[in-house]
Amino acid sequence: MLGIWILALFLLNAAEGEEVCFDRLGCFSDDLPWSGSTERPVHKLPWDPKKIDIHFLLYTRENPENSQEIDSTDLSTIDSSNFNTSRITRFIVHGFVDNGEENWLSDMCKRMLSVEDVNCICVNWKRGARCQYTQASNNVRVVGAEIAYFVNVLMEKYEYSPADVHIIGHSLGAHVAGEAGKRRPGIGRITGLDPAQPYFQGTPIEVRLDKSDADFVDVIHTDSAPTIPNLGFGMSPAVGHIDFYPNGGKEMPGCAKNPVSQIVDLDGIWEGTRDFVACNHLRSYKYYSDSIIYPDGFLGYSCASYELFQSGSCFPCPREGCPNMGHYADKFKDKNKYNFQKFYLNTGEAKDFPLWRYKVTVTLSGKKKVKGYINIALYGNDGNTRQHQIFKGTLKPSNTYTSFIDAEVNVGTVTKVKFLWNNNMINPTFPKLGAATITVQVGQNGTEFRFCGSEKVREDVLQTLTAC
Amino acid sequence: MATILPLRLLLALLLLLPPALPAPHERGLIFNLDIGELCLQSAQCKSGCCHRNSGLSLARCAPRAAEFQECSPKSLYGVYYKCPCENGLTCDADKSIVGSITNSNFGLCKDPLSSDKSR
Repeated sequence: MLGIWILALFLLNAAEGEEVCFDRLGCFSDDLPWSGSTERPVHKLPWDPKKIDIHFLLYTRENPENSQEIDSTDLSTIDSSNFNTSRITRFIVHGFVDNGEENWLSDMCKRMLSVEDVNCICVNWKRGARCQYTQASNNVRVVGAEIAYFVNVLMEKYEYSPADVHIIGHSLGAHVAGEAGKRRPGIGRITGLDPAQPYFQGTPIEVRLDKSDADFVDVIHTDSAPTIPNLGFGMSPAVGHIDFYPNGGKEMPGCAKNPVSQIVDLDGIWEGTRDFVACNHLRSYKYYSDSIIYPDGFLGYSCASYELFQSGSCFPCPREGCPNMGHYADKFKDKNKYNFQKFYLNTGEAKDFPLWRYKVTVTLSGKKKVKGYINIALYGNDGNTRQHQIFKGTLKPSNTYTSFIDAEVNVGTVTKVKFLWNNNMINPTFPKLGAATITVQVGQNGTEFRFCGSEKVREDVLQTLTAC
Repeated sequence: MATILPLRLLLALLLLLPPALPAPHERGLIFNLDIGELCLQSAQCKSGCCHRNSGLSLARCAPRAAEFQECSPKSLYGVYYKCPCENGLTCDADKSIVGSITNSNFGLCKDPLSSDKSR
């Protein structure tokens, strides 16, 4: 698989200045900027739409399990389907070597249908995606043109507004969405899930996904390391109105497992093999899918870099709030003031992925300094978290330690905090240590909670601090 | 159990063979395993819990149970259906002999100090 891929990247083809034309869709040339540049050295013309064999599979609340196939050239298929013009329409487009009948597309539809009444259309172009990469990245243009044509038909025949259309594209599919948006101006929203990097990064905006392609473009970057030599498949520059870089955008947690553990996945061998090949790259749609059912679990913090975000300089959310990565990113549509703003957040290492960020400040009390670590667990109205380590090293009484934790639970209003310390060593003097005060700040709204404790505890004993 | 054994042997082999692969430091192939990696014994996991859902499913490293979550007391089996509790917590479980033989003596993690005071 990898071999083919690298071969495809470097295979040079000599044909130049050719053009192909198709019914309904118009002509496609291989002139600049489509081919012949350093970013796109290989000259390839897109395939005939018949050869690519594009299918639109509709899921609605009336048929959440089984899809209905609809065709833009045969209006009777749309009329007889459950397509409803009073709902918004979301297209989901897959990427390279993927398949529109793959579970992740229909699962995403099902999750959407559980929270909203939409026309969810999975776009299947697997014939055009299962070929050399250089060919597939040109077939993107035809698939984009087909979607634009579909939206045009909806406009003309059903008076459907393109502003009610949302195209979600993964990898090459993100550029399919970009192409569709370029041909049909006024599309409401495009979501790029880790847009493909080779043959697109660094090209003019007409070739790739760009913020000009729709009224609102949001992008999730999960594999933005350079293709050479790191084999990152996704684009690194910000290209939308808002761009999210979960976990820094390069290496996703849970993707560095040993090969056996990666392939023998909880969700089966097939899902595991997919992750073995492109774990980081595929995380983008997994985060999006989870964001549908966890609206507040993926808050993006505006920051200059991931390192600054990790060190806490971009905490908490500003007064206007943080945008939600994924499905609810459009809530932030009109609040964005700057060009190409980058947002950072951390996610879990396996599903469920959402995390909630808190700032924890601990002031120690005790008599002697000891070596060890400090753990904190938060308790609130909506549950409690695991113990999170906030410091490791020399623990000095009356020193203050600050750290950020990404909790797996949104505890709501924090009611108490538990403190535990340990040095993993038997100390015959049985030193005692406690937390005098702990403050907890919630990332979502900046609310601060303060807790006090008077006792001191031995290692591995939980100290409970109450509000003060 | 007879059907699991060859699978387990294969797995053990697969885990033992790859030292040829350059293992990045910090995480290991046999010990020091991260959450989500396949394991045979809790001692292999950083978290200290090798967890499986049923007698037939493969075991993976999992985080230990937080307060009010289900748990099992530390057992000799080395593989758990419910992970033991985090430090400072006790697993409030039925410690009868039947439960510990079938590895199904589940309970809830509780803080031995706070339960005395507040309830």
